[in-house]
Formats: sequence, structure tokens, C-alpha cells
Amino acid sequence: MVLHEAARPLKGARPFCVPGMEVLDGRPDLRLKRIGCPSLPHTTRKRSLEVWRLDAGIVYLRLRRRVVVPPGALIKLGDIASIETDRRYADKIRELTVWKMRPEDGNLLMIDMLQIVRLIRRLEPSLTVETFGEPHVLLETSPEGKIKPRYALLVAAWLLLFFGSGMAIMNFHADVDMPVVQRRIIELLTGRPDRHAWLFEVPYSIGVGLGMLIFFNRVFRKRLNDEPNPLEVEMFMYQESVNRYVITEEYAKTRQREDGPDD
Amino acid sequence: MIELTGEVLVAVVGLSGGFAVGSAFVALLIVLDIVPRLVQLARAHRRSAIFESALLAGVIGFNCADMFDWRLSLAKGWLLAPAILQGIFVGMLAAALTEVLNVIPIVAKRLQLGRYLFYLLLAMVLGKVAGSLADWLLFQQMHQ
Repeated sequence: MVLHEAARPLKGARPFCVPGMEVLDGRPDLRLKRIGCPSLPHTTRKRSLEVWRLDAGIVYLRLRRRVVVPPGALIKLGDIASIETDRRYADKIRELTVWKMRPEDGNLLMIDMLQIVRLIRRLEPSLTVETFGEPHVLLETSPEGKIKPRYALLVAAWLLLFFGSGMAIMNFHADVDMPVVQRRIIELLTGRPDRHAWLFEVPYSIGVGLGMLIFFNRVFRKRLNDEPNPLEVEMFMYQESVNRYVITEEYAKTRQREDGPDD
Repeated sequence: MIELTGEVLVAVVGLSGGFAVGSAFVALLIVLDIVPRLVQLARAHRRSAIFESALLAGVIGFNCADMFDWRLSLAKGWLLAPAILQGIFVGMLAAALTEVLNVIPIVAKRLQLGRYLFYLLLAMVLGKVAGSLADWLLFQQMHQ
């Protein structure tokens, strides 16, 4: 039964019986052509089945990591994955409806690769699906399908960091008794205390700024080189951890849905 | 001549000291994940320049005001802004520090209190607020 279904020839593809393998030029999709004739021994028939499937076509799929969609959107496979396949079914597969966003899905939803493979097999059972990259995609709902920064919060965060870091540096100076250390250094180096305190203070202030800029790997708009700065790396790691957490949670939820509520 | 050398050395020590402090300061804030959290709240990915400028301006501005005694004569009401914002900042620092040290997850796991994680957090928050109030309003007053 299974054999029969998998070996069902495609519409439009003309099967013909050739003993052995034959290479047909110019048609990469038809390069390997071999079918199992009823008279062939069992093993040959089995192998010929594989060849049949090769011939029937392979879909190469790579899911995106995170896709932003408007609420209530109809998610097509082409929206969430890069697809490489035979021209015959490329459009059909791209237009495959994967999901319709519902309000109860929340603003983060995971689509599992298995769901997609199931859909493709339902559409065309003879297709083989080869997947690359992440086995899942995260759908994030946001009005108009793109993420807009929250400007009020952005301003608040700017002020928060401004005052916070300012107070932190003053706290640090008070904590380590910077003026005393300053006077001591000047005394040790020039022999007299309390002269030219600004000589220490001005380079120190410039040094603080330069140290931070070097850490951030940029001089204002201009980057020093293409490497991301530690802040950007940390932001990326943070986002990755959040993604991983959401995905794990979603898998747990899916399993619960399939097995029924436990306890 | 010797005097000049000494003065140049003072400047060099100052500059390198500033370097060390500036980069260590940023490294601490980044390790504590405060900025990534704010970026997420403001949904401002790929705009890290904004947050960097805030840190830079804050540190340099307050550093200079502290050292060169820049004084503004503003009304008392203006104090509210730095008071609230600096309070939030210290709160975030404290929370981030406990988070990095994994205190709460470990306590919750050891004592099997995972279900009451929220109440544990709440206890910590209330404790910090009560401690801060008691410190400012009672103990510091007593010392004066």
C-alpha cells in the first residue's frame, strides 16, 4: 500500500521501462530513470523505488529564524522559508498555506518543520523534503508586519542610562577616593601636592571616553572595523537565548496538546 | 626639565587610568545584560548607537561635572528626574547582579520552591526597597 503510494508516478512525467540506468542529457530532473518492472527481483524493485523518488523530485527547504507578521495573517510557506525545487511544483509549494494567525496564538508562535513536511507530503506524496538550518521558525505578530521601536521607552531608556552611568562613575570615584589618589600621584611624580590637578583630570576624562569608544569599536557614526562590538554580540546572545527558551516552551506545549493534558 | 617630565607623566597616568576605568565600566554594564534588556523593551534592535551614546554622554558629563565642579542652580523639583532614574538604574544593577550569580534559580531548585519563584522575587524587591528606605531615613540620620 505504502509502496504503491510512494511509487505513484507524477502527473506529466512519463514513466518508461529501461533496464539499467540511463542518462538523459539536458534534463537534470530526469537524469536517473529507472523503474521497477514487475518481473524484476525484489531488491531491484526496492532500489528502483528510491530512484523513482529521486526522479519525482526533492524540495530543499531552509526555514528562516524569525519572521514578523501582521495579526491574522495567512502564512504561506514562501514567507517563512527559502525553497529550492523543481520548477514544476515550486509555485504550488511556495503558495502552500502553513497557518492562519489567530488571536489566541499570542505574539510568538513556533512552526515546526515536521508540520511543514506533513503539508508538503499531503500536497505531493512523492516529493522528498531535504531540510537545512533550523528545524523551526518563530512567528512574531506585530501590527503592519514590522517591528517599530517604542519611542517613548527609547527616550526613557536613554535618560536612564545617561543618569545611571553618570551616577555610577561618581559613585566609583567616591568609593575609591579618587581625589586623594590623584593628589598622591601628582605628589609622587612632580614632588609637590595640589599643583596642576587639572593636568591629571583632563587626560583622565578624555581617557574614560576613549576607553568606552574603543570598547564600542567605533568613533561616533564611523565604525573602526567590521567586527561587531561586544554590546552587539551580547544583544545577539540575549536574543538567541530568548528564542531558544520560546522554542523549548512551544515544543512542550505542542507535546501537551498532542498527548492531552498530563497529571 | 624634571618638573616637565613629572607633569607629562601625570598626564600619561591620567589618560591610561581613564582608559582602564572607561572600558571596565562598559564591560561591567554589558556583562550584566542591562543594555540588551532595555533594547528589547524599546524594540530597538540594530540601534545600539543610541544606547552607546547615552552611556558615553552620561559618563563623560557627570565625570567632568564631578571633577571640575560644574554647578547648575536649578529648582529643587528637578531633582526628581535623576532621583527616579538613578533609583531604577541601581535597581536594575542589583537585579542583574543577582541574576548573573544565579542566586534565585539555585535557591528555588535546592529548596524546591520553583513554583513560588514570583514570591521569592517579590520578597527580594520589597527587601531592597525597605532596606533603602531604612538606610536613608533612619540610619544615615542617626549618624549625622
